[in-house]
Amino acid sequence: MSHITLAHGNGGRLMRELIDEVFAAPLNNPLLDTGADAVALPLDTANNEIMLTTDGFTVSPLEFPGGDIGSLAVNGTVNDLAVAGATPLYLSLAVIIEEGLALETLRRIVQSIAHAALTTGVQVVCGDTKVVPRGQGSGIYITTTGVGQRPASPARGINNIRDGDTILVSGPVGDHGIAVMLAREQFGLRGDVRSDCRSVVPLAQALLPLPGLRFMRDPTRGGLATVLNEIGLATGFGAVIDESAVPVRESVRSVCEILGYDPLYLACEGQIVAVVAPESATEALRVWRSTDHGHDAAILGRVTSAHRQVIQTTGIGGQRVIEELEDDPLPRIC
Amino acid sequence: MPAPHDHAKSWLTRIAALPRTGKVRILNVCGGHERTITHSGMRTALPDDIELIPGPGCPVCICPEEDIYDAIQLALNEDVMLVAFGDMLRVPVNVPKREPRSLEQAKAAGAGIQPIATPAAAAAIAREHPDRQVVFFAAGFETTMAPVAAMLAEGVPDNLSVLLSGRLTWPAVAMLLDSGEAAFDALVAPGHVATVMGADEWQFVPQQHGLPCAIAGFTPASLLAAFHSILGQLHRRQPALDNCYPESVTAGGNLLAKSVLARVMGVTDAKWRGIGTIPVSGFALQPAYAAHDARRRFFTKTTAANDPAKEARKRIGEMPPGCDCAAVVLGKISPTQCALYGRACTPRDPVGPCMVSDEGACRIWWVNGMRAAATGRKPDGNAARA
Repeated sequence: MSHITLAHGNGGRLMRELIDEVFAAPLNNPLLDTGADAVALPLDTANNEIMLTTDGFTVSPLEFPGGDIGSLAVNGTVNDLAVAGATPLYLSLAVIIEEGLALETLRRIVQSIAHAALTTGVQVVCGDTKVVPRGQGSGIYITTTGVGQRPASPARGINNIRDGDTILVSGPVGDHGIAVMLAREQFGLRGDVRSDCRSVVPLAQALLPLPGLRFMRDPTRGGLATVLNEIGLATGFGAVIDESAVPVRESVRSVCEILGYDPLYLACEGQIVAVVAPESATEALRVWRSTDHGHDAAILGRVTSAHRQVIQTTGIGGQRVIEELEDDPLPRIC
Repeated sequence: MPAPHDHAKSWLTRIAALPRTGKVRILNVCGGHERTITHSGMRTALPDDIELIPGPGCPVCICPEEDIYDAIQLALNEDVMLVAFGDMLRVPVNVPKREPRSLEQAKAAGAGIQPIATPAAAAAIAREHPDRQVVFFAAGFETTMAPVAAMLAEGVPDNLSVLLSGRLTWPAVAMLLDSGEAAFDALVAPGHVATVMGADEWQFVPQQHGLPCAIAGFTPASLLAAFHSILGQLHRRQPALDNCYPESVTAGGNLLAKSVLARVMGVTDAKWRGIGTIPVSGFALQPAYAAHDARRRFFTKTTAANDPAKEARKRIGEMPPGCDCAAVVLGKISPTQCALYGRACTPRDPVGPCMVSDEGACRIWWVNGMRAAATGRKPDGNAARA
């Protein structure tokens, strides 16, 4: 059989074979038992807090340069744990497949899930498969729930941000948003932009020992601008950032100029925005730049109590207020 | 990786070094110019006595309300597939509450409407659906009309017709200047329009009205070069037309595009939404292309154009109640001076067309964070420094 049929979701032999061959084989690990109803997770609760997060994933097209919905579903959830200071350990995997999806496509997506999980050191320990009739899903939807643990550590989080803190980003923004948009080929544009879809665990763990670390978040939907506005909403502080300090690849910038997009609002899937005490900023930058994917890390600006807006100093030396995203420039990219 | 802005910064330095001649109000007539100005925070970077005013540079904003209404009725009542540029879809018209008030709402109600990004896509869709009548609602300025004309000149399938709503930019500026109500001292002419139609179209500004004029491209540096030229002209009291976009614009324009335009379309008096009729400001299909005129194909005695219900409609051709888009388009007030701006009217729930289009001043200001009600000049600067 070359395509998913409704019979693959009927609970019978076909479904069992699909789960065993297409899912369980590539995802194989000691905890994954497709016959069990639930799994017991080995966790070090004596020294750690247990962290839980969940996320649903839909993207069109399902595969794009630099990633696919599978790697996105693993890294998206892993990254949420990572920026919260946790070590991601276990994932659940729930898929809703549309009747007619090519079995070959599904195999590639599951391989991609297995590869992303292996790369970042998490195990897929339980899962669920449903099939919906043709027309009721866009190929495949994936939901992953992630469990991680983090040591009792200095208080961190959005509420620890203080006036004068420094804002950094780990690398170029907008790669994922533009890569997915180009993959849709709907604007007659071609380009070689690859999604930055990857685990940010190495970036997050590199910063964790820093005493001045206040807060980390991954700028996914809504991009850098959204994270900066979220900081403002939560803390009541404003921010000042320097446009010429924001790392943006030339290829991404060109596409943005043609289509009128602002890279600040485009999704990233492998970057972190961090807020650190000013005296830790240089060290944070050094640490990030010495990691594999942090060469283009940059100091963007600072948190301020002088106003409540996110203000960008533009390349020509003017000023512009960065507001929350008004309407989605790229619907359903992550 | 940062984009180089050295050119722009050097123009800013040169502008700051110019002798001041008092307050200068510079009107632009291109949504692309307004986007660059606002996005780069140019108003906050320039000296305080330079005021940059967005003008009639948004084809969606001035597209006659009647034309959009007709397009909606066509899509709702005839068995057609209507294609239009994306930002036309959300422009509201004045209809009773129970009726679809935009193409987007008509689409939700089941009408066959499809957004497109280029005129060529209209012909392609017509070829893909030879059994359907496809109507291209073509609104736009010279820059859009040239490719629409080229599409028609190349030959289109019989099942494609055009609901034309094309406008020329210079007659709107001429009308403003002739009216004696022009609230600007100098003009930045549109680089893309001038690329097609030629720089010489704008000679009337210095020659007949004695105002400085410069044609600009779409980078901050190109616009700042144009402002520098204008301020120099004012200082020397020698208004002229300066082409600050020579890499693209010639005196006579794109002769091939102009000849195709003239072959396919003539020029006629035309309505501008909320403003009225402006002489020689509209495009109309030449008789040789009448077979592809959607108005002739569909608007018989019994359909939309002469519909008695349409005549009973309120505020035909006007902006919605309370909406100041017409004054914004004419550069008479800034977007933040409209009472609806950011309150009843936002991009998510627009009242007037200027909040809908990417070329509209209200939307450009809103998405770039300009929030404070203007009390005088430089509202964005006030907002940014508040």
